[in-house]
Amino acid sequence: MRKPITPMKPRVSQYGVDPKYVTKRMADYENITSLMLKDLFPDTPDVIFPSDKGVEAIREAAEKALENVDMSMIKPEHSVNICASHHGFTLLGGEPYAELLKTVRDVIARRTGTENIRLRAGVGLRFRETEEYIKSFGLDKYFNGKAKGVAPVDEGIAIETEIGTLYGIKAIYDADWIVHVHNSDVREVHFHRQVDRAVKPFGMSYARIETRSTYHQNLGPRGANFTARAIFNSDFVQKKFAFTVFLNMSPAGVVSVDADNNLYALNDRLTVDGCKYYGKIMTLLGEIDECIVGLDFPCPVPYVFAAGVIYANFTGANVDLFDLDGPLPPYTWYTEAFYGKDGKPLIDNVPPVNPAIKMVVHNYAWGGYPSAFFSNHCPTIVVGREQADLLNRDPQNLQYMEHAVIADNLDAAMEFAYRVAKTDKVIIFDGAVGGINVSTSLAKLLLEKAPIVSKRVDEELLPKWLKQRGINPDILK
Amino acid sequence: MRLVTLLAEVDTEKCTGCRTCQKVCPTLAIKVENRKAVVDSEKCRGCNNCEQRCPVYAIKMVKRVNPVRVYVDPSTVDRSEVEALCKKARFNPEQIICYCTETRAEEVAAAILKGADTPEKLSLETGIRTGCKVECIQPILRLLEAAGITPERPDGYQWYGRTPTVWDIPEEIKEKYSHRGFYFDQDIKVLNKVAEGKKSLEEAR
Ligand code: SF4
Ligand code: SF4
Repeated sequence: MRKPITPMKPRVSQYGVDPKYVTKRMADYENITSLMLKDLFPDTPDVIFPSDKGVEAIREAAEKALENVDMSMIKPEHSVNICASHHGFTLLGGEPYAELLKTVRDVIARRTGTENIRLRAGVGLRFRETEEYIKSFGLDKYFNGKAKGVAPVDEGIAIETEIGTLYGIKAIYDADWIVHVHNSDVREVHFHRQVDRAVKPFGMSYARIETRSTYHQNLGPRGANFTARAIFNSDFVQKKFAFTVFLNMSPAGVVSVDADNNLYALNDRLTVDGCKYYGKIMTLLGEIDECIVGLDFPCPVPYVFAAGVIYANFTGANVDLFDLDGPLPPYTWYTEAFYGKDGKPLIDNVPPVNPAIKMVVHNYAWGGYPSAFFSNHCPTIVVGREQADLLNRDPQNLQYMEHAVIADNLDAAMEFAYRVAKTDKVIIFDGAVGGINVSTSLAKLLLEKAPIVSKRVDEELLPKWLKQRGINPDILK
Repeated sequence: MRLVTLLAEVDTEKCTGCRTCQKVCPTLAIKVENRKAVVDSEKCRGCNNCEQRCPVYAIKMVKRVNPVRVYVDPSTVDRSEVEALCKKARFNPEQIICYCTETRAEEVAAAILKGADTPEKLSLETGIRTGCKVECIQPILRLLEAAGITPERPDGYQWYGRTPTVWDIPEEIKEKYSHRGFYFDQDIKVLNKVAEGKKSLEEAR
């Protein structure tokens, strides 16, 4: 039995409780073991991070990837905005993404002669989150004071697109050139459905509230991410766009760094890699028949990670989220909107939230994202009064605790969970790198199912997913 | 419905009078007077926007001694008018349009029918757009438009304008991108079914 993988440490943040209140981790229990992704799926790609080289491997890979990128449009007197998003800092402790941003800055300065390089880092719904990362990774110093967190309520700019006017954050576009630096972790598959994943920030972390609301309310569950493409295609953005650099992620870590002057070319490559790298583990998690879920990671409830998959995706793992024939995932804001006052869906055939989730132990997860849907649909125990108070103070989570109970400590929460859920299978979303922390009983099930899932994804699902996205599956050969 | 438990409080020592807070407040509850920000406690909905954007961290959210409940009861207006307004804006009256406050289209429609004619008044009266402050501006603008109201923009960054919906996307654009995995027509079927009421989703596959 493998020892559990060390969970990601709690982080000091205004959106979560003080780490001193996180006194015990779910992975500390004796019946918890770990599975490495390579043991589940031998074709899991090799990674450059984590590795013995540390973040130096990221710098090296980024320098190399950038060798083939044209920067001749950037003149020494030009200004450049390196556009970033909070999300990258939640991956593998954040250092790889921070190092990528630093490297991109250095290479631009060296190759173009400009020193007017700014970092513009967008957010989700926690408007000061990237400010926290900028400070903790020393990016403000590295960018000579020219690093700024931007939010969707900041001053906007109208962008004419082929479907009409949308709005971006002015500070994202206030330079001669923009460079889009992101990562390919699939993350919110329920929202973007792995269609134009690499383009998404143009409709999200670089966008104003009007655009983000268009994404989540005006389009639909399968067309939402077109908002991003519409903005990126606009003359306004095309004139400023210089190039893009991505951490190419797999659930096991950073596979490579990819860079291109053509975002769509990079998007096509990463669409294939994303389906390939994440498809198997997501399908495997859908095979779990019953379990207790542990939330134990410094992020809002839906974004806590296990084996590179976020909890929001696990709440929809009873459905194939990559399959575009499915009209609605069990969780997405469109789905949430479609539940009526009696708690039942307004239309038939809305897939239920993953029925395998028998109980959720919220040991450590932040507020700052509307999460009441999760506690409303899955029995939830929150550990510690401080955490409950934090959620009650959060304007985005006023109802979260209405549906949850509080335990004084993790031991009491686990005891209650085992007794009520009547299962000994436990899956922990604690950001364990390279694998997943689970109970021995669940490890057995996952090891049994993995080869069957692997074959099914290779032979049946992956070709279908690619075809649905206009990609010829022969590319896999 | 929104239970308002917090109130913005300004540290006048720190405040520089930059007006950022004033420009982002969804209920116009904070204004700079004599170079210092002043909060109207009657109007503050405890949304944290000012606290999150103040460049000098001069605002703190404090617990209200007496929490305030804001709600416009849809049963106090003519049901057929509520339904007609929601339908015109292509919403099911029971559809949630603000995820943080669980505000449903019918409540906002009722508030409009009772005279609220700007996003700011709607936020004040129903609490909509006082959670994340991001995702629900378009439903608000769509419902106002359906009521024939063109609200005046406040002098800040509260909102800029209504944006396209999936029903507005031209056929040639749909055709151009449908092979890339954007299922516009199928999404229209889903959204129409929701707006119309309880129907099978099967046809939208
Ligand atoms: S944003 Fe802060 S500094 Fe600026 S006026 Fe408001 S309270 Fe004062
Ligand atoms: S409503 Fe929001 S932005 Fe306005 S004063 Fe209150 S907390 Fe600040």
